[in-house]
Amino acid sequence: MRYTLPITAVAALLLGAPTPLAAQSQDVRAQLIERGAPTEFADQVAQIVSNARAEQLPTEPLVSKALEGWAKRARVPQARVIAVLNQSVERLRTGHEIGTAAGMNPPSGPVVAAAADALGRGLSREQVRSMMGEAAGPEAAATGLTVASALVAQGLDTEAAVRVVGDAFRDERPPEEILEFPSAVTGLRAQGQDMSEIARQIMQGGGLPSPTAPGMGGRGTRPQGVPGMTGAGQKKKKGNTGGQ
Amino acid sequence: MTEQERFSPEAHRYLDGEGANGLDHAEREAADRLDRMLQDYAASLKAPGAEVDRAVMAAIAPETQRTSISIWSWLIQPHLFTVRPALVAAAAIALVAVGALTFDLTDFRGGIPDTTTLETPQTILVRFELRAPEAEDVTIAGSFNDWSPEEIRLAKNATTGVWTATVPLPPGEHQYLFVIDGSQWIPDPSAHAQVDDGFGQANSVIVVGPRGVVRS
Repeated sequence: MRYTLPITAVAALLLGAPTPLAAQSQDVRAQLIERGAPTEFADQVAQIVSNARAEQLPTEPLVSKALEGWAKRARVPQARVIAVLNQSVERLRTGHEIGTAAGMNPPSGPVVAAAADALGRGLSREQVRSMMGEAAGPEAAATGLTVASALVAQGLDTEAAVRVVGDAFRDERPPEEILEFPSAVTGLRAQGQDMSEIARQIMQGGGLPSPTAPGMGGRGTRPQGVPGMTGAGQKKKKGNTGGQ
Repeated sequence: MTEQERFSPEAHRYLDGEGANGLDHAEREAADRLDRMLQDYAASLKAPGAEVDRAVMAAIAPETQRTSISIWSWLIQPHLFTVRPALVAAAAIALVAVGALTFDLTDFRGGIPDTTTLETPQTILVRFELRAPEAEDVTIAGSFNDWSPEEIRLAKNATTGVWTATVPLPPGEHQYLFVIDGSQWIPDPSAHAQVDDGFGQANSVIVVGPRGVVRS
């Protein structure tokens, strides 16, 4: 075999590794202006982000929300974007306070951001605090709060959502497995169960089955060749983790 | 014949500064004449000046430039590589062996990562699809691409009218919307949930686990 290639092309192939899609720059002002936003609006957003950073709050959710608001500018006025950002800062501040009260000193950015989202989805301060307290660490706390928020968005009441994640913490199920819960709920709904039945099953200690356990419905979007989760190879599982 | 060949041993000793004993007058005059010529020649010699340094450096510089141009030319010009398939296979096996030594293979079971031992962020390929037979263009904007509606374009199946794209995403929650023909933002009916975006509309939500996403 013979191939003729410029060396520079080979070097470019080697160096041109895929970059993460969401490589967010912290310079939200520059990003907004680059996308055509007026300077005054970009300055307002940058000031909010800067103030949040000074308070040691995570700024990535604010940057993302500002870019989302600007992307939807056809139907979202700039003043509305600023108002939403200020509301987000308040939630982040509350999330930070709850994390500190739960003994995280200081709480990590992902935990604060997940707590703010959970508060926005209707979880109470006490529910957020108890989940932080039950989690084995910051990563588990952030994942648990994110999943509880998603379950509430799927239609579970907050009590059932907190219960299923709390049970998973007590069963020492790893964060990667807890992330599967929203897919499990979708699978149960595809089987014909409504949310009240799913909530009842959870509250009776039934937990949630693996989304890829035999008999689960739904449409998977796994990469080709990756088998479904069967429960094999999962460590630390003990007791009844439900439905399997 | 040179003057040196004509000089006697006494004349050599005289030229070496050992005195003129036994040296005849004519030979002594010849030796003195030779000595003066040597002194005059030595006096005419002088150390090279700065102009010589400049001349040398001027001569060296183009040579260096030519070398760098030559390296650049080598880099950008195509080269022929002759590859023996057997050697390529051997190199690939060696790379796999090195990889196996570098990464603990006990962390992998049945081709999928053990969820309890994952320590580094991974990327999951997530397939998005939307049936929109009338659409001319469908993109996706979300938290994973800084809400850029131009970045991820879906491909259309002309027969079914279904638009699809496969996007690498990290595990976790992602919010997004489809953008039809650059202006119409619509949710994904197969997402895990729809949530208030704070702007009076809804965003679609999926939570990506380490093994993918199950949709409705």
